[in-house]
Amino acid sequence: MTNFLSGYSIQKWLESCPQGYLEDTVYGHEAGEKEPEGLFDNELLREGQIRSTCNLVLGERAALAASSGLVNCAPDYKSKTFLATQTLDEARHVEIFTQRLFDLGVSPADLEDTLNEFGNPHLVKFAEVLLEKVDKGDFVAGVVGQNIVLEGMAFSVFEMLHAGAQEDNPKFAHTLSGTIADERRHVGFGENRIGALIKQYPEKKAECERMQAEMSGHMLATFASAFKEGEASNEEARRLQKEQGKESHAMYHGVDLAQADTAEMEAVLADTVLKEFKTRLGRIGLEYQSPIAA
Amino acid sequence: MAEWQDPHKLTEGEFLDQVHSFEFWFGTVEGYLHDRPYGFDAETEEIEMDDRRKDGLITTLCNYCIGETAALEASSGMIAFAPDRASKIFLSTQVADEGRHLEVLLHRLSMLGVRDPEREIEARANKSLLRFKERLLEFVDSRDWEAAVFAQNVILESLEFTVFRTHAQNADPITKQILQGIVIDERRHMGFGENDLGRRLILAPHTHDRLDRIKRELDSLVLTTFKQTLGELGLEGDEAPDLASDYLGAVARLGF
Repeated sequence: MTNFLSGYSIQKWLESCPQGYLEDTVYGHEAGEKEPEGLFDNELLREGQIRSTCNLVLGERAALAASSGLVNCAPDYKSKTFLATQTLDEARHVEIFTQRLFDLGVSPADLEDTLNEFGNPHLVKFAEVLLEKVDKGDFVAGVVGQNIVLEGMAFSVFEMLHAGAQEDNPKFAHTLSGTIADERRHVGFGENRIGALIKQYPEKKAECERMQAEMSGHMLATFASAFKEGEASNEEARRLQKEQGKESHAMYHGVDLAQADTAEMEAVLADTVLKEFKTRLGRIGLEYQSPIAA
Repeated sequence: MAEWQDPHKLTEGEFLDQVHSFEFWFGTVEGYLHDRPYGFDAETEEIEMDDRRKDGLITTLCNYCIGETAALEASSGMIAFAPDRASKIFLSTQVADEGRHLEVLLHRLSMLGVRDPEREIEARANKSLLRFKERLLEFVDSRDWEAAVFAQNVILESLEFTVFRTHAQNADPITKQILQGIVIDERRHMGFGENDLGRRLILAPHTHDRLDRIKRELDSLVLTTFKQTLGELGLEGDEAPDLASDYLGAVARLGF
């Protein structure tokens, strides 16, 4: 355990993250990059971006609450210091996505109201399941919920958003690539550290599996309503592209996001995340459970 | 990094958002952490230490680890009930700072030949400091923001700031660099505590009496810790620096 955990030290984090892929970035993107002009001329498009960014902020707030809450119940110093870096990563994500809302024209005074208006209630329930474990000081269930389920979901969502933004919004794509790199590290820690703990406390298995099924149910409900709410904005983006004679092909796991309908996009995201869950849970000795309908 | 706006042109809220941000933290720590793995220049040579000095240093560092673990657990726990988002983000930078302090001190212990730091820390723990940690975490567990900020960002940080700064003056070159890096962070954390509580005390002067009672309770633990630390470092008698006055002076800035 000691050798693997030394790969997750603060020193490694400093070298790879702030002094590595975040060097010379401003709120996660290159200095001077801006949101595409067209967004500000079209309320439907702007609102679609605000809606999805609000859910990123809410997801990251949950991750910040969970990772900071887990520091106290971590069983060893090295896990505590890793979680200290994760806490700061999550706070950075909250900050950069909040900054994106400001860049999209949300005023700081309206931030909380905007989050309340556009925040997905299923995502809030998803977070509540996790935070209940953290509040009880349950390190094993907390890390499974946070670093395997929440981070696994965030990783795939960010990758999909990144694929969609690469051509049309380099600023947002750059912001996302830093968060994807962070999430990869968090998932790696979860898989490596928790596997040993599951072996040590096999009695925790059933509880963790139940939590995964519950969180997965809320996650699928989040995807369903998010794609439904984003449908009009997506259609508008496509209509404009067609009007301007632009052709874009943003590929995500074999699906062309620029051409697929929302049902296809929702299906490929849900399928990708659930497959990832199966693989990662298997690696730590847990059995994947079918989502409990929310 | 972000180019900061002229602070004089910012509202109080904008100013606080700016100085409590990750971006601000990142710009600040870059200067003194770059090219200093584990808090010191890798070219620095270890000096010869006799067994007594080395043993005293190990005991001192073990107790610094207790202080830093207390700060790590308290600052992470406080995020959940921080009154606003900017404070949550600032505290998360403090969590990473405290985690780094713990890591560099553990690394220094391993350089001094300590194989099992968790056991060594337990064996050499200062009882007053453990009691202080317990009280601090009680404030955090009861989600008492004012008491937690006061005990953590004013008292504990002042204690560490005073001890580390003094120790750095007499320390071996490696320990000295490590402590100097930590002291810079502690100054930032104290600034947050003073600023936050200073504003609260203006709005709710009755808070002062409550915090004063907490201070009087914790003072005896702090002063006993100072005495023991100076003994471990071999700084006793007339030559011992007046840590108590330094500490009380730092806390007095808030009117305590």
